[in-house]
Amino acid sequence: MDLTGQTILVTGASSGIGRETARLCSQLGARVVLVGRNQERLAETLRSLDGEGHRAEMFDLSSADEIPRWLKSISASSGPLHGLVHSAGIHRLRPVRVLGSRTVEDVMRINVGAAIGLARGFCQRGVGAAGGSIVFLSSVTGLVGQAGIAAYAASKGAIVALTRALAVELAPERIRVNCVAPGVVTTPLWQGVLEMLTPEQGAALEAMHLLGLGSARDVSYAIAFLIAGTARWITGAVLVVDGGYTAH
Amino acid sequence: MQEKEFLSLLDELLELEQGALKGSATLESIEGWNSLAVISFMALVDERFGVSVQPRQIAKCTTVADLVGLLGDRIGAEVRA
Repeated sequence: MDLTGQTILVTGASSGIGRETARLCSQLGARVVLVGRNQERLAETLRSLDGEGHRAEMFDLSSADEIPRWLKSISASSGPLHGLVHSAGIHRLRPVRVLGSRTVEDVMRINVGAAIGLARGFCQRGVGAAGGSIVFLSSVTGLVGQAGIAAYAASKGAIVALTRALAVELAPERIRVNCVAPGVVTTPLWQGVLEMLTPEQGAALEAMHLLGLGSARDVSYAIAFLIAGTARWITGAVLVVDGGYTAH
Repeated sequence: MQEKEFLSLLDELLELEQGALKGSATLESIEGWNSLAVISFMALVDERFGVSVQPRQIAKCTTVADLVGLLGDRIGAEVRA
């Protein structure tokens, strides 16, 4: 895989899968635009990148309608984007009996609404480069059931449908749209969920992953593959990266 | 929030008749007190009281009054058994 000379924008770059994807892209030769809300942690990611020409952008993705104009301004200064990875996301462990509409809206706004806003922005003239690639983050929970996370699962299932719809819509513009569906990887987001589970529940979930829990690095390899020319003939795909979670 | 309101929230969460739960009730005697109810309880106290409760703390509770005790001074009165 080679991303030399390419500019890749990564949301959620201040931690977890986003941070690791940014690092890998830089190691593959890309210039990376890091997007997040926490300046300090973004700066930390920035310092850990290989190569030069990277930048960090503070932006609140909950304002989806502002995204296209913001992406336009980024491409005006950094040049067209060759790839976009939407790794920012929120997870809420909420059994349906206590799942209020506010939680549902919060989850959908970032996980899905922002994804649509980013795609809108990316396909503007001069923003996404010819042959550009978008990668969204779905989840195994968008493919198979898991208790207590209806809103999150619905948002990740929506990402699968969104990926396919946009792949068809944007193919004439030579923009590829794919998503990865990770199982549980040991990230800060997972740590937050783990704290709400008993040790037995955590162990049971881990046992579902035949190869054990994954790392952010494992998922970032799949993302980079889809962003790079290695996946030039792949669009509308859901790449499951789950250590065997959905194999049984 | 007073203890009565809190117990009423728990009644609602567990789909019990209003006023059904008393502080002295043991958790194992409550139908519907299962792992999802525990997570729901954690979400409830987080959203309504801004209190982060861990599963291991709940695991040590044996009665409804113990659950209320997890909220510390966020609850207005002691739960009467």
